[in-house]
Amino acid sequence: MASTACFVIVSKNDIPIYEAEVGSAPKKEDLAYHHQFILHAALDVVQDLAWTTNAMFLRSVDRFNDLVVSVYVTAGHTRFMLLHDSRSEDGIKSFFQEVHELYIKIFLNPLYLPGSRIASSHFDTKVRALARKYLYIRGIY
Amino acid sequence: MMVELLLLIQRRSSIVFRVTFILSVVLRFMRLAYLIGYGVEIEKSPVNSASLSMLSWPKPATWPSIPPDSSAEVMAKEKTILQAKAREKLFDIQRKPLPLEPSSLLREANRRRAFLSVGNLSELYDSVDGSGLGAHSKLSPNKSSSNLMTRTMSGPATSETSLPVDRPMRLSEIHVAAEHALKQTISDPDFMTSLSSPEEFESRYMELTKGAADNYHRSWWKRHGVVLDGEIAAIFFKHGNYDLAAKSYEKVCALYSAEGWEELLADVLPDLAECQKILKDEAGYLASCVKLLSLESSLFSSKERQAFQSEVVRLAHSEMRHPVPLDVSSLITFAGNPAPPLELCDGDPGTLSVAVWSGFPDDITLESLSLRLSAFSSADEGLKAIRSTDARVLVPGRNIITFDIPPQKPGSYVLGALTGQIGKLSFRSHGFSQDGPVDTDEFMSFEKPTRPVLKVRKPRALVDITPAVSSALLMNELQWIGLIVKPIDYSLKGGILHIDAGAELKIEESQMIEIESYRSDGEHSSPIDASKVLSRPTDTGRVEKVPIENGKIKLPDWASDVTTLVWFPVRAINDTVPKGTSPASPQKHSIVDGMRMIALKLEFGAFHNQIFERTIAVHFTNPFHVSTRVVDKCNDGTLLLQVILHSEVKATLHVKDVSLDLQAGFEHLGKGDGRPTSSLFPLVIAPSSKAGILFVIRLSGTKDLDELEQADSMLHIKYGISGDRATGAHSPVPVKPDDSEELLFKISLKLKRPVLDPCLAVGFLPFSTDCLRVGQLVNMKWRVERLKDLEEASLSDDEILYQVDANPQNWMVAGRKSGHISFSEAQGSRIEIAVTCVPLVSGYVHPPQLGLPDVGDANISCNPAGPHLVCVLPPTLSTSYCIPA
Repeated sequence: MASTACFVIVSKNDIPIYEAEVGSAPKKEDLAYHHQFILHAALDVVQDLAWTTNAMFLRSVDRFNDLVVSVYVTAGHTRFMLLHDSRSEDGIKSFFQEVHELYIKIFLNPLYLPGSRIASSHFDTKVRALARKYLYIRGIY
Repeated sequence: MMVELLLLIQRRSSIVFRVTFILSVVLRFMRLAYLIGYGVEIEKSPVNSASLSMLSWPKPATWPSIPPDSSAEVMAKEKTILQAKAREKLFDIQRKPLPLEPSSLLREANRRRAFLSVGNLSELYDSVDGSGLGAHSKLSPNKSSSNLMTRTMSGPATSETSLPVDRPMRLSEIHVAAEHALKQTISDPDFMTSLSSPEEFESRYMELTKGAADNYHRSWWKRHGVVLDGEIAAIFFKHGNYDLAAKSYEKVCALYSAEGWEELLADVLPDLAECQKILKDEAGYLASCVKLLSLESSLFSSKERQAFQSEVVRLAHSEMRHPVPLDVSSLITFAGNPAPPLELCDGDPGTLSVAVWSGFPDDITLESLSLRLSAFSSADEGLKAIRSTDARVLVPGRNIITFDIPPQKPGSYVLGALTGQIGKLSFRSHGFSQDGPVDTDEFMSFEKPTRPVLKVRKPRALVDITPAVSSALLMNELQWIGLIVKPIDYSLKGGILHIDAGAELKIEESQMIEIESYRSDGEHSSPIDASKVLSRPTDTGRVEKVPIENGKIKLPDWASDVTTLVWFPVRAINDTVPKGTSPASPQKHSIVDGMRMIALKLEFGAFHNQIFERTIAVHFTNPFHVSTRVVDKCNDGTLLLQVILHSEVKATLHVKDVSLDLQAGFEHLGKGDGRPTSSLFPLVIAPSSKAGILFVIRLSGTKDLDELEQADSMLHIKYGISGDRATGAHSPVPVKPDDSEELLFKISLKLKRPVLDPCLAVGFLPFSTDCLRVGQLVNMKWRVERLKDLEEASLSDDEILYQVDANPQNWMVAGRKSGHISFSEAQGSRIEIAVTCVPLVSGYVHPPQLGLPDVGDANISCNPAGPHLVCVLPPTLSTSYCIPA
């Protein structure tokens, strides 16, 4: 079950524009930036992997002991990175695809400046709902 | 296994996957260090923590037991564990200690001792602390306690080395047991030395880390490389090698800062700041403090942020060896108003309000604050900074600061940079925030904000002053002149109008100026119409009387935004007496004579900095133009003198009385009071029309020609005028209340005596026959009459010479063509001269002419005498010459 999950959207300039701890485990403040740490380092792997495949979903690119980094790269080279400990790849793929749609909606907003931080609470709510839907193993919810 | 891996490292492969191996080796090496109790020496950095807390501990089937006689070692380890303190960070940053030595070691080690059940162990720990071993898995709310707990667990007062079977091993005991077990298995002496003491371990650790970092950098995995740089820096720092530590930390910070991972930056930056403080790198230290302050406020507690600020303020007020300008672009941001830009007219000062966001956690006192504006579309950056006169304290968050702008050149301006001083420290901010999140897009962020905050318009007409009168005013009378003062989208508040009357024009300052609101009928139509349709003060219009002093008028406040009509009284002075015209002496009338110039200067604008200057020409004229002519000259010497009055103004003139003072040489007939013959007064003359007045005069018998030439006749006209001052001439302004409305106009008329009087009249008498025929004789008769007594010497003779001129081709003159004829000198004597002629050709021919060569043409009236052409018929047919056919 996905007790830990950290979701980050990284803009094409490598700047995190959205962060959310979406794990079902209670948020550990000390660990929050461990997650960032792992995700940030995983960008190194993504930069190599992204050009080797046509697929947007890169599956798990990095592994940190029991934590796995799955990445989804949009056409605009925005990266959705999920640090998780679950193994349900299908769920993660669906999660990424749906978040991508949400992200496109945000992108279409004329008031949103591409590359800036996503501050929309609507987006946040939706992403968390998607995380609950796809990442948590049925049984908890 | 360990040896193989180490050999692998020494090959220094640059291939990424091998680097990853190196990293894993480093981690495993560290894990070993923890296992044998060197962990307290290791910097508890995120990478270590992240790696180690998740890297599994060695899991041998059975945990090695404590060797006998190792109580001293256990005590030593115990001591180091107890003495270990978390390094105190700068700014009192309270970070929760990272779970580097998680309880899992304790758990794993004890679990692998076959005789202890996990369940018992948990119970044991739970009973001790309430949080216990299961801190990771049991969702304990007190998340930070695990580390502390293990420490306390590791150091109880018990010093006995022989463990009872049911007592779990303490951490120090685990360390000692692991060390002994390792020493027995490791065959590589090199590796043995690394593990022999903490110092040796550290040097090996450093070597490995450096190798890994270098290789990561070489393979462009900069993020991995930078993480290891941080580790290296931590070791340098620990050994007091602050210079190298700062360099490595700078690398780390640069990457995190560039990529905007603020949480990671927040962790490393205080370390860098500490290095810089120790190295007395004031500029770097200040920059780090500012950067710390500009990080997201949630990353630090308010107390920490206040500590950052107090550091900045302390340094700013202390003597800095090398004062450096500080870039606070990320901390103090500013933006113009979201409203449309401030628009100023050329030459106007203004006030610009700018929103300044302060990222300081507390109020910060500034010595000064100034703003640079840069022209929008030019590279002219050298604009003067505008200082704010406002309060010098920036509160956290949004501040509205107003800046007084001196007059600027025309153009659009954008916010340039904000500069200021905190204590002795000058700072500078280029940070623009466009009313929202700072834009981070790479492309956009290098562009200047495109929205101008200030627009200074090109010089344009701000006001227009035109004369309100379209036609001439009365000369020598006090007349109102109207000025239409029309502000063009600009307030004339406090404006002062200087009126400088030119030569031969006087402003009557004893009178009040009238200002009234003005509405042109054509204001909403085309401009052509507007000029035609003249203004008419509206009934609802407001009228105010203001004094004029030294040619200055203060415009009232209500008039600052509306078009107004300013009336002021002037008198055009013309001392020359106007002259009438007659057919004998036509006079050129020059329009320039009546022109008068008024120089206007309007000072307006907030600081009277705007000046409008215009010179207007106003036309003045006499009410009448007078011309004379002699209508008839009677035989008795009486002259009918017609005086024609042309109205020169666009106003109705009422002529009430006219009298003519005749010059010498003329005299009135009749009553002799100089009045005209008929009394038709008052005579009303419509604008631009004429009226005639008839005087009956005659020549008087003086012969003094010189006197005649000098004096002129004077015509006195008493009249009234009714006109609209908006149109032109109007009734003069009464200076005194008892001033009558009757005006007097004097004009000189030059009457000339007739210079030549004909003394002879020549008349052509009719032909005796009805028609003239070729070949038939005809008598031509002229009668010459003496009109008056001959006075000229040339005609003193009583004989007169006559001469008949005829074209010899047309006429044959039978008889004398010329001769003398006696002529009485008495007035009225007449003679007849007859000449017989024969016409020679038929048709219309000139008849013969009678000439009097001795008498000048001027003395002969009806000259030429006789008809111009006469008709001559062809001769009758003679039958005697006819031959019958």
